[in-house]
Amino acid sequence: MNKKSFWKKITDSRDASLVLVLIVLLAVIEILSPSFLSFNNVRQIFLNNALTLLMALGMLCVMLTGGIDISITSILAFAGMTVGLLQKYDVLHNTLLLFVIGAAIGLCCGMLNGIVIAKGKVAPIICTMGFMYIWRGMAYVISNNAWASGKDVSGFSDFGKDGAAGPYLILLAAYILFFIVMRWTRFGRRFYAVGSNKEAARISGINVARTIAAAYAVMGLLAGISGALSVSIYASAQPNMQYGKEMDVIAACVIGGISMNGGRGSVAGTFLGAMIIAIIAKALPLVGIDAITQNLVKGIIILAVVSLNVFTQRAINRQNLGRREI
Amino acid sequence: MTEDIILKLEGITKIFPGVRALDRVHFELRRGEVHALMGENGAGKSTFIKVITGVHAAEEGKMYLDGREVHFRGPGDARDAGIAAVYQHPTSYPELSVTENIFIGHQLSRGGIIQWDEMNKRAEELLAGLHAGFRVTEEMGALSVAQQQMVEIAKALSMNARIIILDEPTAALSRTESEELYHIVDQLRESGISVIFISHRMEDMYRLANRVTVFRDSRYIGTYEVDKIPESDLIKAMVGREITDMYPKPEVKPGKELLRLEKLSRTGYFEDVSLHVRAGEIVGLTGLVGAGRTEVMEAACGITRADSGRVYLEGRELTIRRPADAMKAGLILLPEDRQKQGLILSWGLGRNVTLPIRRELAKGGVFNDEKKEREIAKKHLEEVDTKAVSIFDPVSFLSGGNQQKVVVAKALAQKNMKVIVMDEPTKGVDVGAKAEIYMIMGELAGRGYGILMISSEMPETLGMCDRIYVMCKGRVTGCLSRGEVTQEEILSLAMEKSAGWKEERG
Amino acid sequence: MAGKSGRAISAAPKDGLRSRILSWEGALVLIFLAVQIFGVSISPNYNFTNVLREMPKYLAEIFMLFGMACILILGDIDISVGSIVCLSATMACFAGNAGAPFPVVVLVCLGIGLLCGMVNGFLAIKLQELPTMIITLGTQIIFRGIAEVTLKSGGSVSMEDVAGLMQMGKKLGPFPLSLFFVVLTAVIFSVLLNRTVFGRELYAVGANKTAAYYAGIEVQKDRFICYSLLGGLAGVCGIFLLASLYGANTTTGSGFEMEVIAMCVFGGIATTGGKGNLTGAFIAAFVIVCIRIALGQRNINTQLILVIIGAMLIISVLLPTISNGLRAKKQKR
Repeated sequence: MNKKSFWKKITDSRDASLVLVLIVLLAVIEILSPSFLSFNNVRQIFLNNALTLLMALGMLCVMLTGGIDISITSILAFAGMTVGLLQKYDVLHNTLLLFVIGAAIGLCCGMLNGIVIAKGKVAPIICTMGFMYIWRGMAYVISNNAWASGKDVSGFSDFGKDGAAGPYLILLAAYILFFIVMRWTRFGRRFYAVGSNKEAARISGINVARTIAAAYAVMGLLAGISGALSVSIYASAQPNMQYGKEMDVIAACVIGGISMNGGRGSVAGTFLGAMIIAIIAKALPLVGIDAITQNLVKGIIILAVVSLNVFTQRAINRQNLGRREI
Repeated sequence: MTEDIILKLEGITKIFPGVRALDRVHFELRRGEVHALMGENGAGKSTFIKVITGVHAAEEGKMYLDGREVHFRGPGDARDAGIAAVYQHPTSYPELSVTENIFIGHQLSRGGIIQWDEMNKRAEELLAGLHAGFRVTEEMGALSVAQQQMVEIAKALSMNARIIILDEPTAALSRTESEELYHIVDQLRESGISVIFISHRMEDMYRLANRVTVFRDSRYIGTYEVDKIPESDLIKAMVGREITDMYPKPEVKPGKELLRLEKLSRTGYFEDVSLHVRAGEIVGLTGLVGAGRTEVMEAACGITRADSGRVYLEGRELTIRRPADAMKAGLILLPEDRQKQGLILSWGLGRNVTLPIRRELAKGGVFNDEKKEREIAKKHLEEVDTKAVSIFDPVSFLSGGNQQKVVVAKALAQKNMKVIVMDEPTKGVDVGAKAEIYMIMGELAGRGYGILMISSEMPETLGMCDRIYVMCKGRVTGCLSRGEVTQEEILSLAMEKSAGWKEERG
Repeated sequence: MAGKSGRAISAAPKDGLRSRILSWEGALVLIFLAVQIFGVSISPNYNFTNVLREMPKYLAEIFMLFGMACILILGDIDISVGSIVCLSATMACFAGNAGAPFPVVVLVCLGIGLLCGMVNGFLAIKLQELPTMIITLGTQIIFRGIAEVTLKSGGSVSMEDVAGLMQMGKKLGPFPLSLFFVVLTAVIFSVLLNRTVFGRELYAVGANKTAAYYAGIEVQKDRFICYSLLGGLAGVCGIFLLASLYGANTTTGSGFEMEVIAMCVFGGIATTGGKGNLTGAFIAAFVIVCIRIALGQRNINTQLILVIIGAMLIISVLLPTISNGLRAKKQKR
């Protein structure tokens, strides 16, 4: 009983196997292109993927409960556009306050998602699809087809411009916080319990509806912060920003080993999943592959990872059956 | 005699839409005793347990804990009062660790931070007390059912439960695993915990219980000291009627052989299963839950695929790759789980009946012939006397017994039917409808169909079958003929370890 | 049969008219009429001829509605169709520019679509454990990725004039040709879903996959067919898109998958499977098209349409829960 098979060891610690993949990946790239792991490159990778990395944490909560949220980039656009316009029309220029406003908008949008899904019993993909249209549309409506340009947000963009510490600090704080919350607090463990077995969670005295709503609220909050961050990093706000990028966030989570059926996933896995995609995208041109192929490669990796999971699980099941005492 | 009564229920009545699930039942539990709760399927035991644990609220009746009247508004209240239930299929979190499963909802934390080390240590202690052989960091889903039950018991202990309810805990366990469970229950009793034990196995009761309470047809029948009541009296209390009244088994002279399985095997489920069914015969296939009965017939009917072995129908070998192949050949399976496997609950009765024959009825094999479908559905639903107003009523509106009749009508609609495999046909069906289903079975046998009934219920197996195959651990351990079998014989075969037995002819 | 009570069970179909009017499709017809009134009231140019003239640019994606309806009724989902449109349109452009005659261009577009759909179907039945959302997320990125690689750094391709493509943008009387094709496809799929054994099977699988399998339905075969059909229809969408755009780029068809799913759900098809019908989805599609045209004519911020679609979607899916809640309240009183 204590003797574990090789397969089981690998799957038992998915995070460990992801670290392994990442190391091999980095080693190969480093050999092919020795300058890859320079400080500047690493810094760039984090900055270019800050939004995905940040929102993946919220998606972790949502997917742990067995749901999905495709409205995140729309929330991001709505919050980001608001933050941009507040500066364009010189209402507000305080960086902290602008982030708080972005976060608050995101939180409200997320809570709406949560209420409709948990109380209204609407399928997560449908509900968030509806809000995906609504918030994206609202971003257009409030912008009146105008942009907030680099000049408009000049002070604010100092926070997130290339070389500033802002985005890294936000990422670091978010990851440390989530690492603790998801592992060491009852609040975090509730997401796991609800996603693993809703009925059992109910019997254990967990408020299932509130937990699900909380997951979407957290997701919204992070999307709102990402909205403000996006304006700061790219020094502009336009209604179509980050359009379609929600799939990147979901892809990072899937590669990071978060189960779409809920109950399985970790903060470390989320980070590693996002990093693997980011590094491959950055490394392709360096190792002589046209950058244009990066989406193709990304798609293939997603399918490869999830199929590998399925085949591993099947192998385990077969093995268990063979050993089973009928 | 001064009795130390910890839990007492009086005149409990629970009504579900259309059914009186509990009718003024009584129950009394002493401190530190193991109390068996027995009765046939559908007698109301599970509902009763759910009333005690606060999952269902009773319409009438009172409940006393330590002499004080209590009202549980939800499962949380019962848990706080020290009552915990362990179900046959553990209600666990398969993706989470053993420790977390034990402590979820009441994690040890300091300053809001969960103390994993402390929890792991506590969990190890609890499991060591139960002589468990697995680690607390293992994932729940990777454990066997018996191990998961241990975790559930540890969970109850971690919440300082004073009353632990075990709902058919041995049903899915092997003999050695059951033995381990007996030890655990003994230990619980010694430490002063009261245990309510639900089981179908006489053996469990004799081995463990001090007293036994019997329910029948939602009513309280009586409470007895286990060592003072003879087994025959207890069975009579449970069944409450002469078995012969219930089973209208017609005398049919078996005709030619219809179905024959030869050395059917599927790794991990069953091995070398051979059996045959003749025309007009009702053949039983019994054994403990998990012995592989359903799996054998599912493989024969194309639901799953056997690794090796042959299936013959009327002497011709069948190649069965998918369910449709078996159905085309005339081998029809009525699955065990009506609601999940047998019926589409949101659909009307009629559509359910004609679903398997949709192609044969269709015009040119492509376009649905609704009129013909309606006629055929009506004919067969009336033939089995389904209690329904219209063939357009959703199946979900019907009672369990009537749903089963729809499943039978679905089989009857298939004109080329030769052999009908009924998997637990009376599970969750009330007594009246049971008799009707037996009647239908008898009638079908009389018409020359071959019937194979998979059943866990001893009385119906004994009452209805011409021959009874017994399975144990994936193998057929015996074939017994009508009239010369006893309950004990079947039980000993069902629990037998080795299977060096060959099917006898005739 | 012995012990029979002789009870008769009615086999007469229930009166359909009343329930049909009170159904969601009935409500959609009212909404459609309301949208016409709305259109006329906000725009002086909103009339029959103008609506028909502006319609073609919105029609192409409606072809996919019918395939998506099948997929959703099965209880699956496919979010790769936008990318299939992009890939098939791109390949058709290259074929056309390489001198292929019009029928070949059409065949290329259809063939690529069908092939992509078959890839989805193959993966869906070979990786049954996975939610189809994940599988088609992967292929969504891959199909568009292939288009991106083919388009190279320019990111777009223009279709040089191919005889025949012009014809497809033509009209038959006041009606655009593409409308005829849409209606034709609608009729075919309506018959397929409501009148054939195959349609019955799809509903059965969506309502209860296990029971459908036990009843002898080849669930996996049906799933494969539906994915292939949807892929083929994405190819059709690609052709009609080319007929109005005369080219393709890396963002062609992006977001189509969600729009098509939204039309289906707004039309009453549940993503949980087994529920809804094509009529509802078809009306819903034209409700959305007409709102678009009306808003476009007034030059109101056209993106307001997104808010309206989203709100309609959320309200329509919340309706059952709300009405159940009200009914429960009434019963309590």
